[in-house]
Amino acid sequence: MIGLSSYLTVAACLFSIGVIGLFLNRKNVITVLMCIELMLLAVNINFVAFSHFLQDLAGQIFVFFVLTVAASEVAVGLAILVVFYRNRRSINVDDINTLQG
Amino acid sequence: MANITFPFPFPVILPVLPEIIVAVMAMVILIWDLFLPAERKQWTAYAAIATCLVAIDATLRTTGADAQMAFYGQFVLDPFAGFTKLLIIGATIYGIVLSLDYMKSEKNIGEYYSLMLFSMLGMMLMVSATNFIIMYLGLELMALCLYVLVGYQRDVLRSSEAALKYFILGSLASCMLLYGISFLYGLSGSLDFAAVGQALGSLGDNSSMAVSLGLVFIIAGMAFKVSLAPFHMWTPDAYEGAPTPITAFMGVAPKVAGFAILARVVIDALPSLQADYVTIFSWLAVLSMAVGNIAAIAQRNIKRMLAYSTIGHVGFILLGLIAGGPEGYSAMLVYLAVYLFMNMGAFAIIILMRREGIQGELLDDFAGMSKVRPGYALAMGLFMFSLAGIPFLGGFWAKYAVLIAAVHAGHLYLALIGILFSAVGAFYYIRVVKYIYFDEERVAFDFSENPLMQATVAVTAIVVVAIGIFPQPLMDICRAALGGIV
Repeated sequence: MIGLSSYLTVAACLFSIGVIGLFLNRKNVITVLMCIELMLLAVNINFVAFSHFLQDLAGQIFVFFVLTVAASEVAVGLAILVVFYRNRRSINVDDINTLQG
Repeated sequence: MANITFPFPFPVILPVLPEIIVAVMAMVILIWDLFLPAERKQWTAYAAIATCLVAIDATLRTTGADAQMAFYGQFVLDPFAGFTKLLIIGATIYGIVLSLDYMKSEKNIGEYYSLMLFSMLGMMLMVSATNFIIMYLGLELMALCLYVLVGYQRDVLRSSEAALKYFILGSLASCMLLYGISFLYGLSGSLDFAAVGQALGSLGDNSSMAVSLGLVFIIAGMAFKVSLAPFHMWTPDAYEGAPTPITAFMGVAPKVAGFAILARVVIDALPSLQADYVTIFSWLAVLSMAVGNIAAIAQRNIKRMLAYSTIGHVGFILLGLIAGGPEGYSAMLVYLAVYLFMNMGAFAIIILMRREGIQGELLDDFAGMSKVRPGYALAMGLFMFSLAGIPFLGGFWAKYAVLIAAVHAGHLYLALIGILFSAVGAFYYIRVVKYIYFDEERVAFDFSENPLMQATVAVTAIVVVAIGIFPQPLMDICRAALGGIV
């Protein structure tokens, strides 16, 4: 039987990979979007695990909402990225540097 | 004749009336825009303002002295929600009025105003949430619309770059908030604020680690959204790159919504953790006041300077939340209300200075303004003095209220640090006044002559002075707005 703590550990690992990837990644903004998605899915694992072990449906309902919002968030993010690419001709993280000070 | 009965209780929708009006009108404006010829696209702006006015009326009519629940207790309309909704709608009206001239040259202007309405809708839902799902949905509706609005000037590099930065850090903040919520859910088995609060109160020591994780992540996520240091990195960039009316809008409305929901969460869901969150908030407040007021001195761009000034102000607003109790929370509301007017006024002047292609954004652009436009110069001076907290303008009473609340709650050191940094902050606000009154004109500016904008500036300046002379009515309203939550 796999216990609650195993699920939480997996979720914590995925979340940390997401956060670390977001800050260490120096190459590509698409990777940043993937890291954000990874963090949201880690949160979903948390919710589903808690929901299962508490025998309470609210957590799983929340997961549906998070998935829906994540989809629209990626849509907005990619749209902004396309606009940025048209202006800058690059999606390198290092090239996001016009605004400084 | 057989009686027909509903198989379920018919949902109560009256408390949600303002939100329903805004949601329907935002969609109508979105479609209507498609059928308008290009020269009449401005009508969408007037329709959006009308929607806001109707929403204000609906909010005033539906808000009573008692809390009204809707959607099976997941949504509440109490005086606190009603008052913060009025502030949010007010900020949106300002945002739309400031956009009239600024966005005239932009194409596809229709969806711009409907995005602002959707963003406002998200904030209105957020301040009425009694459940983490509603709170999260409102927050995301607000944030997703703001990301797009920040990047609205599609062919301007800095606008799209600001949107990208804001999007990445905003999404990170949402993830952290959700991660924190997931722990509170796991500990309490509920997503309702009140149920979470009860369950957390009766937990043993075994779960203290999970409680702290939940608390820290929720506070970090919310601190990102209201741009508290050290989670403020996106603020200066997003402020500088965004179209100026959007900068004004996002400088006020999301802060009001963020602080309102933060207050609701700490009162309802985290009362048993008061000692912990007060410690974290104290550090955040001190850091925000320090970073905001010191970094602002080095800025040459006034939008960037006002971004750092916002960070400083949210530090002060947080003092109200730290103090807690009726006095602290009402001080927070007073500060938010006064901040709405003085910040919007300052941005209105910046927008009035825009001329063909060049925007009045650098501090140097303000040099000698008093000789060209004494009226605008006087108004800008008033807003700057008020932001600095000079006595007998609105901003002074806002600072006074939070500082007194902090002292009464026993946070004397925080209040002293606050006074120290507001003295530091006065330097860069008064420097703007020095540019306006004592420097020679360097560049000739065409000022926008839109009468609606001029009237807005005049009214805002009068309000700031009026609150400065008669602060008591506002303070009484804010105290009354707390009915039911503390």
